[in-house]
Amino acid sequence: MTDYSIWVLEYAAVEKFPFSVMLYGPQHQGTRKLPYAYALLKGKGETILIDTGYDHVAFGKQLADSYGVSNYHGPREVLAECGVSPEDVTKVFITHAHFDHMGAIHLFPNAKFYLQKHELDQWLWALSLGQEFRFLSGGGDPADIARAVDAAREGRLELIDGDREDVLPGIDVHLAKDTHTYGSMYVTLRNDGERESSDKWIFAGDLIYTYDNLTGLDPDAPQIVPIGLAVGSQHNLIFSSVEMLKSVGGEVRRVIPVHEDRLKDTFPSRLTDAGLQVVEIALADGETSKVS
Amino acid sequence: MANDAVMGEDQAMLEYLSAAQAVQSLLKQILSQVGGYALLLMTSKNSHLQPVEAIISAQKAVEQAMDDVRALRVPADAAHHYHHLKKAAQATCWTFAAADACRRAGADEVERDALARALRTATGHLRTTAGLLPGFELVDFGQACCAMHAQMANSERSA
Repeated sequence: MTDYSIWVLEYAAVEKFPFSVMLYGPQHQGTRKLPYAYALLKGKGETILIDTGYDHVAFGKQLADSYGVSNYHGPREVLAECGVSPEDVTKVFITHAHFDHMGAIHLFPNAKFYLQKHELDQWLWALSLGQEFRFLSGGGDPADIARAVDAAREGRLELIDGDREDVLPGIDVHLAKDTHTYGSMYVTLRNDGERESSDKWIFAGDLIYTYDNLTGLDPDAPQIVPIGLAVGSQHNLIFSSVEMLKSVGGEVRRVIPVHEDRLKDTFPSRLTDAGLQVVEIALADGETSKVS
Repeated sequence: MANDAVMGEDQAMLEYLSAAQAVQSLLKQILSQVGGYALLLMTSKNSHLQPVEAIISAQKAVEQAMDDVRALRVPADAAHHYHHLKKAAQATCWTFAAADACRRAGADEVERDALARALRTATGHLRTTAGLLPGFELVDFGQACCAMHAQMANSERSA
């Protein structure tokens, strides 16, 4: 029995992204495509997103001109590939408070949002340190916080304090403290509904950018190599990766990095007319494929 | 003479840009802090949540920001920008008063609405400043996924 369908939906991309940011250490080793994407889960009466993407109205031109982010498409168009509209989304798990993960709260008017309290507490602390410490609070947008306040006022935002099981049926969340951000969160889906699940998937947020973070580059000598961007520590990134891997019995493909371009080769996928990948990871009982 | 006048205008604009960027950066930081505190207020079961140290320091900083806004020398070409910067600073001040009101006994939806509205107004004006002149972006993309790509793209352009 499969409870939830799972798709990863690309909404923009950086075509030439330096590999040294995706994998800590290997300088001058070229570039890879970095897709911007969110995960869509559908089942048990819920339509769930892992992250929202960013607000193109505010940053689209700047990101395109200065940062090479191309082919942005909004959630109405992207979700339609799976027969979903933004209004259908009932729950959103925000893995961390960077603009490209929580920058579109306002586009999902009926959704309830979940964010780690530690992310907010420590961000406030980092902001109070002064301008010379701005590295510790970068990537955040005050407008996102104002929109989060709007959602909270309507009872649509919940701060989660640490790990919690069964936030929704079969869905657990985990705090990966002081890693990519202070309160990064990863999401576990037990897709057979069992506590000791044999069909578990993990949505890693930006704790990993690529499967290579979990395997290293040498197949004969696997190792965990953290991403190259953290306000916490590489140590914490490594051990959160170990935790995620252990949780899925060491099966690397079950830890989903949405920025991984090779997802399209790992799972069934198709390219939309807009040039965006739709990756189909699981189909709930009774659901029809969106890639075939 | 005409050239001198143009150079004088350019210099005045450069001075405004430099000073206003510092003010906007401070306002952005303050607004993020009070916004975060508002989020804690609205999600906490304890409606009398005491301001954390970060908010106390932000409240002091907003007075400095208001003084800095008043002290700006505004060239004619920056008048529109200054209008929104000043409005952003004023609205940021209101957010602290609104947050205090939310913490008072008996505070209800009216106070919560006022706080959310003040935050929306302040961020709206601040975002407008970002679109009117270069160098006023609201997000520091230096810590974003695309940051290193930008450095590479810039070096490719200059090569």
